[in-house]
Amino acid sequence: MNAAVSNSIAPAAVVVRRTIAATAEELFDAWLDPEALAIWMRPGAAIHTTEAKVEPRVGGRFEINMHADSGVIPHSGVYQLIDRPRRLVFTWFSPHTGDRDSLVTVDFLPRDQRTEVVVTHEQLPESKREAHNGGWTRALEKLDAFRGA
Amino acid sequence: MGEYQDTRLDGVFNALCDPTRRAILARLTDTDARVTDIAADFPISLNSISKHIRMLERAGLVTRSVQGRDHVLALNAAPLADAAEWIEHYRRFWEGRLASLEKYITSRKRKRT
Repeated sequence: MNAAVSNSIAPAAVVVRRTIAATAEELFDAWLDPEALAIWMRPGAAIHTTEAKVEPRVGGRFEINMHADSGVIPHSGVYQLIDRPRRLVFTWFSPHTGDRDSLVTVDFLPRDQRTEVVVTHEQLPESKREAHNGGWTRALEKLDAFRGA
Repeated sequence: MGEYQDTRLDGVFNALCDPTRRAILARLTDTDARVTDIAADFPISLNSISKHIRMLERAGLVTRSVQGRDHVLALNAAPLADAAEWIEHYRRFWEGRLASLEKYITSRKRKRT
């Protein structure tokens, strides 16, 4: 079986991990702070500036515009779950997602003096995509309330 | 990406988001198989298996040929290449972002101390 087949059959999602010498709170806050995002959400040499706007609440939107010489690459999404400092869930919409919503979950796991950040990025199945403006968000809010209880 | 490709990619990801369908695909990577053989491998009804197989056929991941009384399924891996490309793009993107996040956090700490 070739690599493309096994890679796509196994997870229909991207999972990336990195353990960083910082607290979960410090790392979590860097995801919701527009000034921090403008610095670390700047991929590659082609992007010379990133502008970020965030409404850090469940149902709030964010916009991350990456400026390249060839034009602006817009990224946006809606926060689905904000559980500081454990988990952040948001939709992600960009030209690279085929201009469709996808879903990003970021987990912050304490590891001794450090924190492992785990990003899981998946395509939103059709059923969830249709529902995510209403039922999907409410379901996640309930989950949030349940976890907090 | 064109509209056609987006729709196809959607179908592929929808097909892949279920563990039974992934298991059917994994089963077909070794060899073609009859629908009845596949059904025998899974502890769910033939009706449910048929639904999963139809979804895989619609996504273009599985083709069916009729040989006498048997319906034989074969894997068609081509649409998985689009999915693999999406996965590869975002794997590289997030690896880069997390490296950048570490750099940001570390330099900020240095400034404070």
